[in-house]
Amino acid sequence: MSRVVSASLWVGFYLALVSAPLLLLLAGEIPPGGGPWWDLAMAFGFAGLAVMGVQFALTARLRRATAPFGIDIIYYFHRLAAYIGIALVLAHFAIVQVLHPEAVGAVNPLQAPGFMSAGRLSLILFLVVIVSSVWRKQLGIEYTRWRILHTVAATAAVLLAIWHVLGVGYYTETMWKYRLWIAYSGFWVLLVVYVRLIRPWRMLHRPYRVVEVRAESGRTNTLVLEPDGHAGMRFAPGQFAWLTLRGSPFSFEEHPFSFSGSAAQAGRIEFTIKALGDFTEAIGEVRPGERACLDGPYGVFSVDRYPAARGFVFVAAGVGIAPIMSMLRTLADRGDPRPMTLIYADSDAEAMIFREELEALKTRLDLELVCVLERPPEGWSGPRGRITAELIERVVPADHAGFEFFICGPRPVSDIVQRRLRGIGVAGARVHFELFDMV
Amino acid sequence: MREELARWVALLTAVVAVSLSVLFAWVHNPRGEPEQPAAESLPTVAATPVEHPGHAVFVAQRCTSCHSVGGEGSPRYPLDGVGARLDRDTIRKWIIGAPELEGELSASAFSRKQQYQVLPDAELEALVSWLASLQD
Repeated sequence: MSRVVSASLWVGFYLALVSAPLLLLLAGEIPPGGGPWWDLAMAFGFAGLAVMGVQFALTARLRRATAPFGIDIIYYFHRLAAYIGIALVLAHFAIVQVLHPEAVGAVNPLQAPGFMSAGRLSLILFLVVIVSSVWRKQLGIEYTRWRILHTVAATAAVLLAIWHVLGVGYYTETMWKYRLWIAYSGFWVLLVVYVRLIRPWRMLHRPYRVVEVRAESGRTNTLVLEPDGHAGMRFAPGQFAWLTLRGSPFSFEEHPFSFSGSAAQAGRIEFTIKALGDFTEAIGEVRPGERACLDGPYGVFSVDRYPAARGFVFVAAGVGIAPIMSMLRTLADRGDPRPMTLIYADSDAEAMIFREELEALKTRLDLELVCVLERPPEGWSGPRGRITAELIERVVPADHAGFEFFICGPRPVSDIVQRRLRGIGVAGARVHFELFDMV
Repeated sequence: MREELARWVALLTAVVAVSLSVLFAWVHNPRGEPEQPAAESLPTVAATPVEHPGHAVFVAQRCTSCHSVGGEGSPRYPLDGVGARLDRDTIRKWIIGAPELEGELSASAFSRKQQYQVLPDAELEALVSWLASLQD
């Protein structure tokens, strides 16, 4: 099945899931209305809850459903969908509150019926979930804590909302509608159980062992893993996985990293990790023999998605070289004859990872290597400073028709390079990058 | 490129959700706004200078969270003109959720009405009198 067809089918399936509750309530016997605004407000409430419910499916990392899009973009969409969901829920509340304040009744939970307080608390929790996600860094919430808060508050918010729906009743008074609502809600709860219990349990039963921790230049380590008692995973070069080290997969302490090793070597998994935070700084202390758990592979940032490409241009900044290294090593192992260019930028020569190996790869690949240093050493003959428009124009092959472009680096660098590539006439569809700040 | 696709799908989702909601409101209200009794025909809510004690009970007991009279309260179960449809005895049974009404009401509404059985007689009778006075 072509990628476009499967992507369209999944989008259709998503819209069907979001529409299901309202369509369900419109089936069969319809109770008398309470005025157009009243019923519109109620419909917004149901639609908002449906959007929020399907959020659990979006982030369940379902490999088949996310494959046509790339899981990073699913997380990006998850955020957009949250805005739609909260807008619907707020509209639901606002319309009823303004037009029929007596019907909404007392705010004091000691006076209000439980299901009304449940509705209010649900709305507050949804707001907490969104605010803590959009402004996580500004609020200084640590990643693992945030993940726990996110999961617990979102699950509670949906359960409270369902209590609110069933407590208010009315549309769900017909027995079969009531049961279907319970089933629909139960589905999201089961999904949480799958994501938080069943999948970690499966990961625990497919463990990996650390076989080597290799110090690279520039505060970077390469972690080498081998499957322990199973065949391991097959990944496409450029993909990534969530890694759990020194913790249980049931805990929320997992972090996404790109594979840096060759995909052509079965079993062995390598991650190249720069010390940038608490977790990444501890990588150097990891010893061979330690257990690791992996959830992956994910992502669409891979040369393997474009088998018909005539050639490749890679742009890496800093540790962004990791997934590109995986692609180059794999292409070299496969004896790929296509022309490729790598523009690799870093702060200084000491920070640059894989310099020697990249030089060596030039003998196995038709590879043009351009290193750009911000603070070059004495006698440096290569380009210095940042990746400029002139550099892009000079280095990218003039006839780049049929080439695919891969960028990996911090978001500002990625954005600039995208603009520069557009400037020399590269179509947006040929420029690929991972939205790593989303996963 | 892929971000753009995500934004389009999000827009489509919003359009579908709002359209379905409008359809939902329209299907439930094919004739638009339900007819509200004109203000002058509401002897107890708007026009009467002295509040009927039954109306005070109606508000204090939060009957408005499910019922409305003259547009005050939830439009879900309007009680306008209930006095013309039911006699005092039946009105009383509906307020307190008398046992013979089990099955006529949804389980949750039936159980919620049980709490009004402990309403003091004077208040209950005032409420019944007021509701019975709602003739149109």
